[in-house]
Amino acid sequence: MNVIETNSLSKQYISVFSKQTVNALNDFTFSVQQGEIFGLLGPNGAGKTTLIKILLGITFPTKGQAKLFGKDVKDYTARQKVGYLPENHRFPGYLTGEQVLRYYGELSGLKNDSQMKEKIDWYLTLMNLGQWRNTKVRKYSKGMLQKLGIAQALLSDPELIFLDEPTDGVDPIGRKEIRDILLELRAKGKTIFLNSHLLSEVEMICDRVAILNKGDMVLNGSVDVITKTDNVYEIQTDSSLTMELKSKILEIDPDAGAGENEIHTSKGITGLNSIIDLLRASNINIISVKQKTSTLEDLFINVIRKKIPDVSNN
Amino acid sequence: MLAIIKNTFREALAKKIFIGYYLFYVIVILVTIFLVNVDTIEGVIDMVDKKTIIQQFETGFIAISWSLIIFFSIISTASFIPSMLEKGTIDLILSKPISRTKILISKFLGAVIFVFISIVFLLGSIWLIVSLKSGYWDVRFLAAVLTITLTYSVMYSIVILFGLITNSSIISILVNFFLIFVLCPILSVRELVIFPILSDSTVQFIINFFYYILPKPGEIKDITNAIITGDAINIWKTSLDTEAQSLAPSWMSMFSSVLFGAVMLAGSVYYFSKKDY
Repeated sequence: MNVIETNSLSKQYISVFSKQTVNALNDFTFSVQQGEIFGLLGPNGAGKTTLIKILLGITFPTKGQAKLFGKDVKDYTARQKVGYLPENHRFPGYLTGEQVLRYYGELSGLKNDSQMKEKIDWYLTLMNLGQWRNTKVRKYSKGMLQKLGIAQALLSDPELIFLDEPTDGVDPIGRKEIRDILLELRAKGKTIFLNSHLLSEVEMICDRVAILNKGDMVLNGSVDVITKTDNVYEIQTDSSLTMELKSKILEIDPDAGAGENEIHTSKGITGLNSIIDLLRASNINIISVKQKTSTLEDLFINVIRKKIPDVSNN
Repeated sequence: MLAIIKNTFREALAKKIFIGYYLFYVIVILVTIFLVNVDTIEGVIDMVDKKTIIQQFETGFIAISWSLIIFFSIISTASFIPSMLEKGTIDLILSKPISRTKILISKFLGAVIFVFISIVFLLGSIWLIVSLKSGYWDVRFLAAVLTITLTYSVMYSIVILFGLITNSSIISILVNFFLIFVLCPILSVRELVIFPILSDSTVQFIINFFYYILPKPGEIKDITNAIITGDAINIWKTSLDTEAQSLAPSWMSMFSSVLFGAVMLAGSVYYFSKKDY
């Protein structure tokens, strides 16, 4: 089931005084399936926050359509099963941690009863904020506010959770805890829409990613597929390669890279096996053979700088 | 809706200006307690008709404090809308499954209820003090609680609209100051003061147009005083009482002010429901 769907979604901002037009989103069509963690990436000003705001009814599209759980996003009831943590969220400083959760819980439709109290207790404990529950949030650190924000987003047990930079300001242990929570939520069938600049984290937990640039989607696919570099293999040996051996490797693959005890070949399976046969015939021991992948960061930079073609797949 | 109303109360309590606001009211109450216990005043109360003296005190109190109470109430609540619109706060609220209309109306009601309670505190205390001292219990004075709250609601609808458009509580306060203390008082005496000087019918029409459209806080004060004293209130038109040399109020002033407030609020709801944040 498609939890999020957009169809030719566009957003233009027009300055009232200068009449300058900014195309924040251009004809954007994509979907997110139930139970996946979807990562949205892009440089600053790419349109990521605009997309999230349109999906949550905070901003209205200029053209096109967007749906949550099959309902048009303009219908506020579409957000009944949605939790959201905005980037740079602000809680009223005069509220305590518990009051914040209670307030936003009630706005999410929860009844202010013993069940809500149990949930508040649970999430405050989960986020290690139990001892700060009666402290005004103006005294919270950035990391504490972030954790409280995540608790707020999850309190109503939503089916779809939007997280905009969820680990911003959180220490490494906290980040690990948050990642574990997200993976647990996915295991329960929840859908998570994640916007983060920490590409290593996105790579760790996301099933699929989309890369936005200047309002256009330039890449969309599963993390495993888009980071796989076809036909490039890496061979590690336990001893140094002689010049004679390197020459023979270059005869097999003229583009091969041969280091001290490492070989990279882009000749595919055939070239790989020929090189392995050559190494074994020369009594060179092979430690490992693996298909080379690029990191999400490498891919992101290359895509934004338009060094590789679109390999979109849904 | 209740969550937003409760939070509006918390916000009001958290703001230091709220403390000044109630401190001012406490001072007024203490001064009243002092005054009614002064020997001269006690003597006057014993000598003259209690009803007359109490009504004179009540109408005098209303005349002096009316605009100040409304303006202070506006100042203490003007920041509710701009603070709601802060980035990070508005995102969270609008992402919840609640309509924008409900959000805005809840904010409005929260402010009105807060001010209503504070006016009950002030006028209720004044009424109790004066009634206990004099022995004359005039419940009509308490009608001022409702009329002041109503006037505040009308003026606050302007605060909401300007707050939404400009994101500034200062501009909202200044607009209200201009209306309460300058424009509306001038328009209310247009027939006595302006029209004798400006006889051009077109100009008079324009001035009348603005008079009938804009709220009339001064006239609602006059209605309140008329309720307290039991004087007649016209239905449609303020009339000149030549014997008393004053303007007899009309209910039209209240109806048109309420209508103005409703239009402002409807305009605010429409604007808020269409705006990108």
